[in-house]
Amino acid sequence: MTISHAPPRGRSRPLSTVLWDRTRLVLSYAILFGLALAFFYPFTLAVTTSFKPLPEIAANPVKLLPDQWTLEGYRRMVGLNVDRWLFNSAFVAVCITLGNVILASLAGYALSRVPFPGREALFLAILGTMMIPGIVLLIPRFILFKLLGMIDTYQGLIVPGLVTSFGIFLMKQFFESIPVELEEAAFMDGASRFQIYWNVVLPLTRPAVIALTIFSFQGSWNDFMGPLIVISTNQDLYTLPLGLAFLRGGIGQNLQWNAILAGSMLTTLPMALIFLFFQRYFIEGISYAGLKG
Amino acid sequence: MATTGIRGQARQDAIAGWLFVAPALAILGIFLVVPILFAAYYSFTDWNGISPPTEARLIGLRNYYDLLLSGGIKQQDFFKALKNTTYFALGVVPLQTGAALVLAVIVNQRGLRFKDFFRTAYYFPSITSSIAISLIFLFLYQKSGLVNYVLEVITFGRWEPIAWLADARGLFHILLEPLGITLRTGPEFLRAKVAGLTLWDWISGPSVALTAIMLQNSWTTTGTMMVIFLAALQDIPSFVYEAAQIDGANNWQIFWKITLPLLRPTLFFVITLGLIGTYQVFDQIYVMTSGGPAKTTLTMAYIVYRNGFRNSEMGLGLATAVLLFAIIFLLTMLQRRITEAREG
Amino acid sequence: MRHRTLWTLLAALTVLAMVLAACAVPAAPQAPAEEAAPAQEAAPAEEMAPEEEAQVVELTLMGWASSEAENTRLQQVVDVFNEQNPDIQVTLNLVPSYDEKLQASLAGGSPPDVFYIDSFRLPDLVEAGALEPYEPQALDPDDFYPSLRNAFTWDGTFWCPPKDFSTLALEYNKDLFDAAGLDYPTPDWTWDDLRAAAEALTDPDNGVYGIVLSADFARWIAFLYQAGGSVTDEGYTQMTINSPEALEAMEFYVGLVLDGYAAQPSDLDSGWNGEAFGKGRAAMAIEGNWINPYLQDQFPDLNWGVTELPSGPGGQATMAFTVCYGVPAAGMYKEESFRLVNFLTGPEGMQMWTDLGLAMPTRRSLREGWLEKFPALEPFLNGAEYAHKWQFVPGFSDVMDTINSGLQEAMAGTKLPEDVLAEAEAVGNEILARWRERKGQ
Repeated sequence: MTISHAPPRGRSRPLSTVLWDRTRLVLSYAILFGLALAFFYPFTLAVTTSFKPLPEIAANPVKLLPDQWTLEGYRRMVGLNVDRWLFNSAFVAVCITLGNVILASLAGYALSRVPFPGREALFLAILGTMMIPGIVLLIPRFILFKLLGMIDTYQGLIVPGLVTSFGIFLMKQFFESIPVELEEAAFMDGASRFQIYWNVVLPLTRPAVIALTIFSFQGSWNDFMGPLIVISTNQDLYTLPLGLAFLRGGIGQNLQWNAILAGSMLTTLPMALIFLFFQRYFIEGISYAGLKG
Repeated sequence: MATTGIRGQARQDAIAGWLFVAPALAILGIFLVVPILFAAYYSFTDWNGISPPTEARLIGLRNYYDLLLSGGIKQQDFFKALKNTTYFALGVVPLQTGAALVLAVIVNQRGLRFKDFFRTAYYFPSITSSIAISLIFLFLYQKSGLVNYVLEVITFGRWEPIAWLADARGLFHILLEPLGITLRTGPEFLRAKVAGLTLWDWISGPSVALTAIMLQNSWTTTGTMMVIFLAALQDIPSFVYEAAQIDGANNWQIFWKITLPLLRPTLFFVITLGLIGTYQVFDQIYVMTSGGPAKTTLTMAYIVYRNGFRNSEMGLGLATAVLLFAIIFLLTMLQRRITEAREG
Repeated sequence: MRHRTLWTLLAALTVLAMVLAACAVPAAPQAPAEEAAPAQEAAPAEEMAPEEEAQVVELTLMGWASSEAENTRLQQVVDVFNEQNPDIQVTLNLVPSYDEKLQASLAGGSPPDVFYIDSFRLPDLVEAGALEPYEPQALDPDDFYPSLRNAFTWDGTFWCPPKDFSTLALEYNKDLFDAAGLDYPTPDWTWDDLRAAAEALTDPDNGVYGIVLSADFARWIAFLYQAGGSVTDEGYTQMTINSPEALEAMEFYVGLVLDGYAAQPSDLDSGWNGEAFGKGRAAMAIEGNWINPYLQDQFPDLNWGVTELPSGPGGQATMAFTVCYGVPAAGMYKEESFRLVNFLTGPEGMQMWTDLGLAMPTRRSLREGWLEKFPALEPFLNGAEYAHKWQFVPGFSDVMDTINSGLQEAMAGTKLPEDVLAEAEAVGNEILARWRERKGQ
């Protein structure tokens, strides 16, 4: 962090400026803490409400602490197989993350460093696919999954997400920022393209790989539209967001708020833990994507 | 050795290059390009989604005609969705961009402490599943829920609790009412129909329910945008500010004359991201309102789904999707034009 | 050196392929008993079935999830069938978001062998060629109430047997009526009685309304028929909904809300009418007999009664909602599927299914036995005599959406009932024309 309250340069600062600086700081803190509360409080209320019995929630949905703590909501979620959803979400997210890191870095490396015929056109085409909005793919992907027999399978959940144009783009941009000299030395020593990629370049891309890992994992973990189309009738393959969305239920079913919020918390918690541990990388990743994009 | 080496290297590179991109290319080809072709083809058919796709019949431009020109219910719903989505984008994009920018500037102040804490707090909703957030807000937006409660407290009880997500009244309609303008008292031309909807409908503004979802959406994404802005702000070398200060510029002038111009690329990136995102808003609608009340939260993305999977008109749903694609494409192009014009 | 590059590349791709293969595990088998980690589930599904259970046909019965009591009972009925038919094993699969999922599984794929069909949805499925007709396999079809058989007859064919049915009736909170000093509603009530009672029971200070009404075509339509109105003409050639009778019905229905004697569920912190009624926020509700197990389960202390819907200017009327068991045209084991259907809708299966009081038997022969068990629910059963069916033409959900949306606006006071009806008429006529055009081709 840079030095706070830099000493006056050249001329002494008038009292009014100093006062204004103080007021501004106080005002800033007021705004920032107020907003932080607005961002955190809904989650806090959701957590505590998930431990309330239903009648208590119905009587007063605003009160923070339960009069009577209960695991009723969580028990109901376990009854719905939430552990299976959790496993599915994690399994799919890990596979998709692996795929993205490997495939995007391979392709990104080739597109940035390996001179091969058609490279420029290919890169433009890949950039072009970034323009395709996901919603356009909703129905046609369903048709495709039908044809390929991928409805109600893990393949259907995983394979389409194994690589994204964005990931390739991100990796390519990053590879281009690495000095060529490093590779040339390896070339002189007779290393193959793959060896250079694997031994020389990939280890240098840690920040980009971490950013991509986080984007892929988060994207897959929170994805709803994908599973909504792929998973039709096999409830053993629900991912967390899918199972959660169906909790709203239909006629003849109450909104069982403790279970719904318990489910929401179970979906949020793993990401939150990952976030807390790897916070720096999240922020760096999104900043990096923002600056590159 | 030397001559064959170069030629050999070129061949090797050709092989290696294509091999390296092959797996990615296969996946993108099958799951991005092929579906786009499907979308284009089936949008000209009457496929109902129940019988096998192979039995779909080509019906020419019928779906597009129904959506754009027919004057019937499909056209009405399409333009209703377009209207709602546009209000959604017009509300959310400036709100989240503006809020994020202001927050980033505040957090970036010299001498401010807890920067990391604020960054974490604001970014947190961005990592949370949109479904989980929608369910939480479904809870908060109830008539006796937290949102009404807070409003009651800060207005000292003057706020009348409303069922946010069941309220179909348009914001602009609500604002016009005290001025004595309603559908019945307003000028006759408000009843004129434009593209299937009355003029009065077009100027409704987002409904209370849609506004609630807009606020929620901004709440979720502002953090991401703020982190992006913050990174860009920290990229601006401090001597730029110092030079301006020595020249006697005040903070306000520094922001408008120096910070903002330097942030322009980031600003446009954030706006583009916002536009693409808001024109596809789906998850929240699916979980919270299913397009209701009174179709005021029907969005473009949602009618693609509804036409296809709920109303058994896949062909029509695909035509809707193709049109949505075109709209997003045009908007992005338009935005790029504006960026280039400003920069050039 | 060239060779080395190629080998490395090949090795790399092999590794990659292995990673992907590890990820791309086939779906877990349908049997819910399987709880092993998916990576181990890959093979057994194909290997085990032919060896051990070569003769057993596995069927899937798909429906939507309801109350827990209902789900459990259905499983019990299915278990009995599985016991009696060792050569058939039926797995019950109750899915959320049912209509979409059913459509998705019908589209050219492997549909469930037997599935629920709502009478409203039947025309869509029949005209898409998705169903195998029940008629040739029918078991004593004349025993079904004619109105219910009719609800699953389309183009002159009886497509699937009704599994049960419900009618709309008027539920009332006895404590709130007692507190207000009012007599309980009776079957000879008229609209005026309903309105007067709703007015008397409304207690704004305590947030209690006379009746809870939702902006729902499927509820308002009962009032439409009570007013003597109708939705379309006999042969679905045109809409008849823009009539003075319909206007009267809508003004009455919406008027209760606008005058403050009725509220929508969302204004009572509730997801549906039954919840608002159960919470005691509304003294009356109009729902089908599915409200009975719901209230018993969620609000066991509620002191409530039920009677037939009041009469309007056009007499008595209610709606019958019914669901059948359909067999897909693309089914693999149609013969076995129909055996299951005939068990579930036959005297034995249906009696088992309906003797929880969740739903009413569709066979007349079971009427008396059921009434003996559930005398309090008689009003629901009586409705069968004059109930209208919930069915129009394929694509009619657009009309339903339009009316729901219009009711919502009318209840908010932003649209006039006559405009809602005019719009519904226009949309309906468009849908009818579209349907005729498609049929003509």
